[in-house]
Amino acid sequence: MIGILKGMAVTLRHALDGETFTVEYPETAPEVSPRFRGVHKFSQERCIWCRQCENVCPNDTIQIVQDDKRNGEQYNLHIGQCIYCRLCEEVCPVDAILLTQNFEFTADTKNDFVYNKEQLKNVPWYKDIDPLNSRNPDRNAWIGEGEGEVDYQ
Amino acid sequence: MPTSKDNPVSQSAEPVFRTADWHEREAYDLVGIQYEDHPDLRRILLPDTWQGHPLGLDYDQDRPQIATLREHANPLEGDHRSAGDSNTMYINIGPHHPATHGVLHVETVVDGEQVVDLDSDIGYLHRCEEQMCQQGTYRHQIMPYPDRWDYISAGLLNEWAYARTAEDLADIEVPEYAQIIRTMGAELCRIASHMIALGTFALDVYGDFTAIFMYAMRDREIVQNILEDLTGQRMMFNYFRLGGVVWDLPEPREEFFEKIRDFIDELPQALEEYHDMITSNEILQARTVGTGVLPPEVAKSYGATGPVARGSGIDYDLRRDDSYGYYDELDWDVVVEDGCDNFSRLLVRMREVEESAKIIQQCVDLLEDWPEDERNIQANVPRTLKPEEDTEIYRAVEGAKGELGIYIRADGTDKPARFKIRSPCFSNLQTLPEMSEGEYIPDMIASLGSLDIVLGEVDR
Amino acid sequence: MSLQAVLPDTISGLLGLEGILGDVVGGLVGAFLIANIMLIMTAFAGPWAKRKITAAFGDRIAVNRIGPFGLLTIVTDAVRLLSKELIVPEGVDRPAWDLAPMVIPFSALLGFAVIPMGNGIQLADPETGLAFAFAAASIASLGIVMTGYASNNKFSLIGALRAVASNIAYEIPLVVTAASVVIFAGSLRMSEIVAVQAEPLLSVAGVTIPTWFAFVNPFAFALFIIANLAEVGRNPFDIPEAPTEIVAGFQTEYSSVYFVLIYLGEFIHIFLGGAIAATLFLGGPAGPVLPGFVWFTIKIWAFFLFTQWARSAIPRLRVDQFLEIGWKGMLVLSFANLVLTAIIVGVIV
Ligand code: SF4
Ligand code: SF4
Repeated sequence: MIGILKGMAVTLRHALDGETFTVEYPETAPEVSPRFRGVHKFSQERCIWCRQCENVCPNDTIQIVQDDKRNGEQYNLHIGQCIYCRLCEEVCPVDAILLTQNFEFTADTKNDFVYNKEQLKNVPWYKDIDPLNSRNPDRNAWIGEGEGEVDYQ
Repeated sequence: MPTSKDNPVSQSAEPVFRTADWHEREAYDLVGIQYEDHPDLRRILLPDTWQGHPLGLDYDQDRPQIATLREHANPLEGDHRSAGDSNTMYINIGPHHPATHGVLHVETVVDGEQVVDLDSDIGYLHRCEEQMCQQGTYRHQIMPYPDRWDYISAGLLNEWAYARTAEDLADIEVPEYAQIIRTMGAELCRIASHMIALGTFALDVYGDFTAIFMYAMRDREIVQNILEDLTGQRMMFNYFRLGGVVWDLPEPREEFFEKIRDFIDELPQALEEYHDMITSNEILQARTVGTGVLPPEVAKSYGATGPVARGSGIDYDLRRDDSYGYYDELDWDVVVEDGCDNFSRLLVRMREVEESAKIIQQCVDLLEDWPEDERNIQANVPRTLKPEEDTEIYRAVEGAKGELGIYIRADGTDKPARFKIRSPCFSNLQTLPEMSEGEYIPDMIASLGSLDIVLGEVDR
Repeated sequence: MSLQAVLPDTISGLLGLEGILGDVVGGLVGAFLIANIMLIMTAFAGPWAKRKITAAFGDRIAVNRIGPFGLLTIVTDAVRLLSKELIVPEGVDRPAWDLAPMVIPFSALLGFAVIPMGNGIQLADPETGLAFAFAAASIASLGIVMTGYASNNKFSLIGALRAVASNIAYEIPLVVTAASVVIFAGSLRMSEIVAVQAEPLLSVAGVTIPTWFAFVNPFAFALFIIANLAEVGRNPFDIPEAPTEIVAGFQTEYSSVYFVLIYLGEFIHIFLGGAIAATLFLGGPAGPVLPGFVWFTIKIWAFFLFTQWARSAIPRLRVDQFLEIGWKGMLVLSFANLVLTAIIVGVIV
């Protein structure tokens, strides 16, 4: 009986203190850490079309089409199948692709989840967090900085 | 036991260890090995109508799977099965049932409310994770996937299983600093995972998404925020890399340490609340003490590990018995309870949270004083790893649910030739009939909850 | 003892109708009023209060989107539930399957016919009022059995059987405990039971504590509340539903309007349980300052709150333990209580 009463006391205490730990989304947006990995942002100006991101992506989310002179024509991201592992960002030698803090994106059909380079460019940062800044201190640990053969194509 | 490719027949180990039952069925299902004298060699993960054995070398990926309508008859056909004994009733618990923690189908025969016979039908969440890993490169592409086996925030523990295996395979030495970060992260994951185990177990016994579940979620939320700061993601961390971790602790470090310290300081109070609400509650004790009994010999025979084994008085913890990471340098204890019942499994988890907190505390102390120029978070690892042909390796770590092992056979390329996951949940779930036959349906549900399975890891 | 006029008489008096016509019209209008009062209360309780309360216990924010305090959720929920497709599974036993959702709420509403709600709101005041209330309330178990066997679903069947078992096991202690009150009051008539409780028990510093039977015999009150929880099927005794064990028990197969009816029925039942408890042990509508009806409402909502609190804090018992407590614990205790009360009353009076 004591145990039951203790349990009831605990719940009552919680009920009366009026504290809540859920937030009223979307009015109150949850905090995301600066390292958070959301939808990609792609910078066409920076990209050198080395295709490393395409190679490293574990599930073929990134599709790059080049013309015969190896100039980039298309950069498509099948965002619906992305697992946000962030390996593409890690391998990119010029920071052309970055995962933003933005996790709010929706679509009606699977096909709407294919973003081309223009759409990727227009992905907004989330709450003005600049991931590049927040990531800089750790960049030397990322893939590609280690010794050994580096296979830029 | 190796067999030839032309005549893949082996001898069943089922009479020696009961756990061989499911493991051999899995090998038959995926690879196509026949076992002599196996009591019940059926498919386990794939549907019964599947043709071919997908991980066999001669499997043709492109061959369409054609099952005739007759063969594909209602998979829940058993529903209309007329039991010879008219006193019993056949019930499908699951695949969609509030208490199966995912899509698990338990074919149950009940006599009144007592379970007479029980057979778990798994594979609804089978994604062929082993094959996905076989198609990924060692260096990068496999690491994101372990997060998705036991996806209930045990990600770092799973990643460690792969990291440990591949690092031993390729002789990579992990810097000490990275090992401490790994240890800390892994224990945070363990806390998060045990919290949800606690919450859902209470949910199974209490009956509604009520207070105790919410409190467990609230505390898990704090852990998840810490992990998000550390890894950048809340559940699918992808934080380990071969040879270390990908990110150093977030700046400003003091703030991060402060956050962890706050959590550790508040934890005893939260646990006190749990004890008030759960373990000291007489009704809960009546429900859990002496139900779902799993004697140690049976647990061993079924290959049960983790909190399930430790709740049956088996003193086995890979963190101590096959030490890795930084565990052997730290001061902590393996938690063992002798009750063998649902209650002691619950207690083991609650006490393990305390032990994990102890470990994290020590890691934080170490990390805080670590000299700034020795913060080496990753060893130098070549961009492509090509282990020599025909090297084999099996390594295991103590995951949230038990021994999570990985077997890799290399074939000289940059991708594994065979990648086998020994999932703790798979073996633990196998003990369910032992625990619940003869018990009431509610106790069966409670036992299932106390096993703390994650279907993502059972089915892989 | 002068009894207050019952509600139908008041109404027919107001309308100036007499004789049989007055009885019929007054009865119908009164029944309509009371049924609607109860339905409005359940409308508050079901989609709104229950969520708010559970959320408060679980440290959550809950329904706050639509209307002030999220109150308009009640409307949207009603529309949502009623506009859903009514799925009739194969092989259900039609008349029974359709009737059951009506039996459950109506049996509970019927029970309110004899409850004095204060300010003269009482439909009828027969001499056997208490027996009538219990009898009406237990018709609901008939409805539950109907749902269970007509649904052609094994979980429903198990749920229905559990409901029957629990009803038999806990109805007896419930009635026997109520009987101890009857011994005190010396009448089964509800209004008399209430009236007896109005007498002062003792005065402390100018505050008079009335002879509410909860103060006179707290032990019987506790017994009654526990048996009542089981009777209305709430935690820790929500065995017939037990979502984590047998999906939703007897109501597994019901959707749309039928589901709403069953759901309503359950809430009205909780209120009826609260109403009987209030009448027997808490002086019915009595209370200082505020009018009787307000007090009555407060009391039955207090019982509702209590069920929700128990739901948040107490684990569910296993069915065999539940029955064991019923037969070996509650039954014995309630008879002991009855015998003791009888002796005490016999000696004193
Ligand atoms: S985050 Fe991972 S899955 Fe997504 S595009 Fe980049 S590499 Fe591919
Ligand atoms: S890795 Fe970077 S630079 Fe290379 S193709 Fe991808 S986005 Fe462009």
